[in-house]
Amino acid sequence: MNKLTAELKVKIIDILNLQDLSPENFDENDRLVGGALGIDSIDVLEMVVMVERDYGVVINSQEVGEKIFSSLASLAEYIKENTPGSSP
Amino acid sequence: MEKRVYIAGLGIISPLGEGLAATEEALRDNRSAIRPLDLFPLLHGEPLPTGQVRGLAEQSDLPRTHRLALNAARQAMASANTPPDAIILGNTTGGILTTEALLRAKADNKELYRYHGLNSVAEYLAQELGCCGMAMTVSTACSSGAVAIALALEMLRRGKAKAVLAGGVDSLCRLTYFGFHSLQLVDRQGCHPLDADRHGMAVAEGAAMLLLTTEKPARPLAELLGAGLSCDAYHPAAPHPEGRGALRAMQAALADAGLNPTEISYINLHGTGTPENDLAEAKAVRTLFAAPPPLSSIKGATGHSLAASGAIEAVVAAIAVAKDFLPANTGCRNPDPALGLTPLRQPTNQATTAVLSNSFGFGGNNGCLVIAKADRFPPPSPKHGKAGLAIHGYACLTGAGDTAATLTLLAQGLPVAGTADLAGISANLPPNLVRRLKRLPRLTLSLALSAHQDSGFEAKPGAIFMGTGWGALSETHDFLTRLADSGEQFPSPTDFVGSVHNGPAGQTAILFGASGANITASGGDYSFEQALFAADLMLEEGQKSALVLGADEGHPVLSPLLDPSIAPDTLLADGGGGFCLSRKTAGAQCLVRIPFYQRSAAEGGIKALIDALGGAQTLNGKYALLLAGIPAAVREEGEGQLAEFLAQSGLQAPVIRYREFTGEFASASAVAAVMAASFLASGKVPGLLVSGDDLALAGKKNAILVLGLGRYLSAMKFSRP
Repeated sequence: MNKLTAELKVKIIDILNLQDLSPENFDENDRLVGGALGIDSIDVLEMVVMVERDYGVVINSQEVGEKIFSSLASLAEYIKENTPGSSP
Repeated sequence: MEKRVYIAGLGIISPLGEGLAATEEALRDNRSAIRPLDLFPLLHGEPLPTGQVRGLAEQSDLPRTHRLALNAARQAMASANTPPDAIILGNTTGGILTTEALLRAKADNKELYRYHGLNSVAEYLAQELGCCGMAMTVSTACSSGAVAIALALEMLRRGKAKAVLAGGVDSLCRLTYFGFHSLQLVDRQGCHPLDADRHGMAVAEGAAMLLLTTEKPARPLAELLGAGLSCDAYHPAAPHPEGRGALRAMQAALADAGLNPTEISYINLHGTGTPENDLAEAKAVRTLFAAPPPLSSIKGATGHSLAASGAIEAVVAAIAVAKDFLPANTGCRNPDPALGLTPLRQPTNQATTAVLSNSFGFGGNNGCLVIAKADRFPPPSPKHGKAGLAIHGYACLTGAGDTAATLTLLAQGLPVAGTADLAGISANLPPNLVRRLKRLPRLTLSLALSAHQDSGFEAKPGAIFMGTGWGALSETHDFLTRLADSGEQFPSPTDFVGSVHNGPAGQTAILFGASGANITASGGDYSFEQALFAADLMLEEGQKSALVLGADEGHPVLSPLLDPSIAPDTLLADGGGGFCLSRKTAGAQCLVRIPFYQRSAAEGGIKALIDALGGAQTLNGKYALLLAGIPAAVREEGEGQLAEFLAQSGLQAPVIRYREFTGEFASASAVAAVMAASFLASGKVPGLLVSGDDLALAGKKNAILVLGLGRYLSAMKFSRP
């Protein structure tokens, strides 16, 4: 889990170009979407693509997406639970 | 004097069919034309439902967009004896379906890409129809067609033309097919606008054109009574959740038409079928209409043909008033109670005097039209004063850097061509605001902020007019590259949203909260001139200030392929210029007018240009300097025109071929315009630019002429207030 969390921090900072943020000061429990980071629906979709491409986990509804992307921790949890071949 | 604007001809080709009769028949049948895509092969998965035009004759190497547009244009012109005075076309993707195939095949013969540019469609129509006036291209995403018609209305009312062919076109392509899918805005089950179980739009294609005239035709089909534009200034892709921008545009259209909400017989909704659009639009409709009239969206039948949709629906609105017939909200089974609207479930014959037609797009770009039975309502009262705009602030960006850096080098007679580094361009922009933005939106925002700052105005601008020859090349390139590299599996939603030509102007509106008109024009090397022309049409006395911007990015891969003036060994150059302006001359740094814009192939073009500038004597008495824009691709032709102009007018003023300094890029004329403004502000032209002493801009001879030469002839006049 820690490895996945750390990995996601780097990826999200990169794909969303969050220049003010470093993996060290990226709190996985902070609000991700609609919070101080200014992450919006387009960013969510960009992360949806990343999650599918890099983890093979499909998120195909915006409603579900908003819950999953409420924090980085919840995203990591969702990926872990839904990774193909992983035991629940 | 008030002028009525009549609809003298209509043309339409859409998934419903070709021509008015086929369109009306399909609407009367309440038939959806949305089917799985088969226009181009897909590498993966089931094709999504789309609105595809069937049976379009395959001929020549012309892109599909051009063929769709010509089909609709010929229909609209069928009963006209003379070509239109001008063409204004809404378009978002030009010949990109062809370009996509060329890029995949790694074709490097730039001749093959000659129909890529948005402007190539309108210019092709001009050539085919023999139109010698302006061929203007409006690119405001999904409101493009409606905004093009709104501009045509204003051009006719101001007497700048007697007949204008206006409309919109887009063809299906990978960019929009995968782009909207990447935004999860496409309904896999077809399109069901206003339905409780709606899941999105169906990307579609088509073209529609309206021949608009101020001379009353023998049998006018309808009257274009009014138009209203607004910008949400809220989000690059999502509508304002309360539909505030939609409401403002509808209100503006009704006010322009001189109608009360109760006088509207039918509303043709934008109604894309996405949960957000339909909800926001419904809220706006319910705010404006205490008891909404019959209403429907036809996008469950046609799909959403993007730039064409506003024009297609204007044609449907004209059919509604001409035939007293209201189309149904095809595809809606159970109207969503959350919307509080009752869409028409069946096609209905009903007396119809005035229709409100809505179009909303990315960038929060809204355009609403009012189409009525001819001569049924009093003509709208004229509201505008004289032409000409007062420049209160200016800014430019070039390879040399910002305005000061650029002007310093120019004062030394040195070139400023090149591409400034992105960090420098972004220096005045908040990092969080621009984290998702690539080169063109950053250039644009930087210009906008600097031009506004230079005006000293505390009040923010209310309207944005933008010209760009090639749009956001980085985003377009990156989207298509990632789409191809990932085997069509992982296109970037961010790049898709950023790829629309009006993205930069939309971002500028968000930055300033500019909720007025927001128009992006794409006229190749004359894009800035078109933006200025649009501003001169739309900006009213007493309104907030406006920004007129022109920018292009130099892209290492796409610019040499697409821009005919850029060879592989040409120094890559980019940048642009911008003005903060209004109608208020008091305190202005200088004034600008755009007295001439015509196709150069027209007979007697140079003489007409000289006449438009007041004749040879006036020219010699007024103009101290000529800035000539001769793109490399048309050097011989442009030099010939310049020589003819100088010979015929006898103008003795020094000539600066500004592209020798700015480098080759489509918006170089925006930099030239800023040069002119800065010379007037400082009262002199640097001697090193005119190979002599400083040239004082004093006395009566104090105006500067900026000419665009080549395929079109354009003139911008800068003078003292």
